[in-house]
Amino acid sequence: MTLPDLTAADLQPVLPALVLAAGASVLLLSEVFLTTASRSHLALIALGSSVLAGGVALATAFEPAHAVFQGLAVQDPFSSFVTVVVCLGLAGVVLLSADFLKQRQAERGEYYALMLFAAAGMSLLAMSAELITLFINLEVLSVSTYALTAFLRRGPRPAEAAFKYFILGAFSAALFLYGSALLYGVTGTTRLADMVGPLRTAMHTQPWLATCALALVAAGFAFKVAAVPFHMWAPDVYEGAPTPVTALMSAGVKAAAFAGLVRVFLFLGRADPEVVALALSALAVLTMVGGNLLALPQRNVKRMLAYSSIAHAGYLLLGVAALFPHPGTGVLAATPLMLGSPAVNSADAYKGILFYLLAYTVSSVGAFGVLSVLERHADGDGATAWDLDRFSGLAQRRPGWAVAMAAFMLSLAGIPPTVGFMGKLLVFRAAVDSGLLGLAIIGVLASAAGAYYYLRIVVYMFMRPAPAEGVLPEKYWATELALVASAVAVVALGVLPGRVADWLSQSGMFFGTR
Amino acid sequence: MSAEALLFYVFALCTVVSAGAVVLARGPMTSAMSLVATFFFLAGVYALLWAHTIAVLQVLVYAGAIMVLFLFVIMLLSMTEPEPAMKLNVARVVGALSAVGLGAALIASFWKLPTQPMGWAEDSARAAAFGTLKTVGEIIYTRYLLPFESVSLLLLAAIVGAVVVAKPRI
Amino acid sequence: MLPVPLPHTLALAAVLFCLGMVGVMVRRNALVVFMCVELMLNAANLTFLAFAQAHGDTTGHVSAFFVIAVAAAEASVGLAIVIAVFRSRGTVNLEELKTMKH
Repeated sequence: MTLPDLTAADLQPVLPALVLAAGASVLLLSEVFLTTASRSHLALIALGSSVLAGGVALATAFEPAHAVFQGLAVQDPFSSFVTVVVCLGLAGVVLLSADFLKQRQAERGEYYALMLFAAAGMSLLAMSAELITLFINLEVLSVSTYALTAFLRRGPRPAEAAFKYFILGAFSAALFLYGSALLYGVTGTTRLADMVGPLRTAMHTQPWLATCALALVAAGFAFKVAAVPFHMWAPDVYEGAPTPVTALMSAGVKAAAFAGLVRVFLFLGRADPEVVALALSALAVLTMVGGNLLALPQRNVKRMLAYSSIAHAGYLLLGVAALFPHPGTGVLAATPLMLGSPAVNSADAYKGILFYLLAYTVSSVGAFGVLSVLERHADGDGATAWDLDRFSGLAQRRPGWAVAMAAFMLSLAGIPPTVGFMGKLLVFRAAVDSGLLGLAIIGVLASAAGAYYYLRIVVYMFMRPAPAEGVLPEKYWATELALVASAVAVVALGVLPGRVADWLSQSGMFFGTR
Repeated sequence: MSAEALLFYVFALCTVVSAGAVVLARGPMTSAMSLVATFFFLAGVYALLWAHTIAVLQVLVYAGAIMVLFLFVIMLLSMTEPEPAMKLNVARVVGALSAVGLGAALIASFWKLPTQPMGWAEDSARAAAFGTLKTVGEIIYTRYLLPFESVSLLLLAAIVGAVVVAKPRI
Repeated sequence: MLPVPLPHTLALAAVLFCLGMVGVMVRRNALVVFMCVELMLNAANLTFLAFAQAHGDTTGHVSAFFVIAVAAAEASVGLAIVIAVFRSRGTVNLEELKTMKH
């Protein structure tokens, strides 16, 4: 028996996850040994760990891609940037949580520890290149998020949301796992890189079995990223979870799940690019259109943001579909609108996906941040806490918040000069370049429809009078810090995306591709 | 038919019957006990597939630990009354039909799998070591070190999460 | 040759998987739905083990080992959530858990 030669260099790729896990352990131990009256140190420890982990990930993001841990994982700029985005989102969410929990006398080390565990799982998920490793890391982040959803039980909603999330999460995990088992049977390996060749053969010899297996894996991911028609859990779960946890779901969980999806399908898709591209395109259309249409009638802003999160998953799926060539097979690609011969410029597609993830993380953390400060402890369980009327006249009562919220809404709607616009521009351009002009047009139309419900909030904030009995919302320094930081990022990255966009389009983004 | 094959079909039949009972039984207690039976019969099938380690783990962890947890919860919540009869609606019927369709497609495709020559089992040393605790353990601690450590992270997160969620109030 | 043909073992796993899936769709008791998910995980395990034997490859066993660990972790959190739901609502019937409509 030969033990693997583990050196410090082998641990370097998982360093961000180690930092996060170590931070979580410190938090858990501090609950035992450091029982002071003030508990603000908890948020500081969590914030420090996430910033440190993000910094470590950013420092490694410029190294060439290579396989680590006997090929079970890879370290490439793609995984490092996803970790950076996750850590950014986590830092914002921790800042939101600090005030949210203090106001409800629920500051506990376990809460932040679970968040850090979830982030460690996300970081590891982004680099997993083997189905079982990927499954376990997916479970690390899911299990932590299930528990976080039920963390703050005021009334029955959080427990029910957690239960719904748990059952559908476990169900989707089972689908993914069974698909992986079948893929293992067909190919004789669980390593994505080794699977490509045997799977290509199997696509000809046993097309049914291979297609069923791929479909099961895809369905598992579609549940996780809440793609239509696998989205039905998302609105209830997003609404029932504590608002900072919802922010983590929409920012971190989504980014990590997409990283896993891209990783799996970039390898497995090579076995039969046309089928995979067609499936991804169909899912993208359904999700973009469905998410936006379902969000239109919502007056409950938290629920509206949940549907909007579904719609954004659709744009991201469009970006993923753009990674595959579409020689006239994509939905609507065979229309006369198609320009020239499509050529996949994968660097552009990665740039689109990563920049979009960054844009969505920053904007949604900010939007949920405003929502969390408008929500009051006394609201209890009622859905009125998130009603559109809460935003009436916000511009007179808290002009700073109103301006920040307007920036987040413009960014989510994809209106310049915000980061959301740049994200959409990059994704749609990558889609058009790879021959998905029809899909890109549907995406633009869907986001134009989506602008209605985002701008409605802006109208309420600036043009409606404040309710007479309106209680002035309190100010919170940590949340305000997060709001200012994300608002600045939304505008700054929207105006000058240069350096960041260059980072995201460096060559050799993805392990195993040119 | 060899004794092994005969045992397999007996276990397979028992597994399907008890799994069906899990799905169809009215009371949660009956479902839970049928699930325990399913796990035991499956452990038998695993042993016939030369997966001795996993067969033991199946009994110890699944039928032992996990099912005891289920039974605890059933008794803690004193869930004795049977669930009301199922109401069928379109979504349920479509979902169930798609499950059956998936199963039929899969089973049909399994018969098209190439027959495995099983040349590897001629090597008696390899066949003897296959599925033993030593072989599986060696691979887990060497080649699969990363997922193994992820599992430890998962278990820690699950412990913390379970304690947090089961607390009466925070 | 294998003592049992590979398709027979795989068919058993597929039947288990579908039973679990149907159970998740039609049952309304939260605990029973969760048990059906466990059936699905076991079907995946059986598939891994059957193919492991056919390929003579221990990866399938390692996968099954990890899946059992994951199932244990999932069960602990899931059952804690079931208890939390029961505490707040007094029921685990999924049809009565539909308060969240806008």
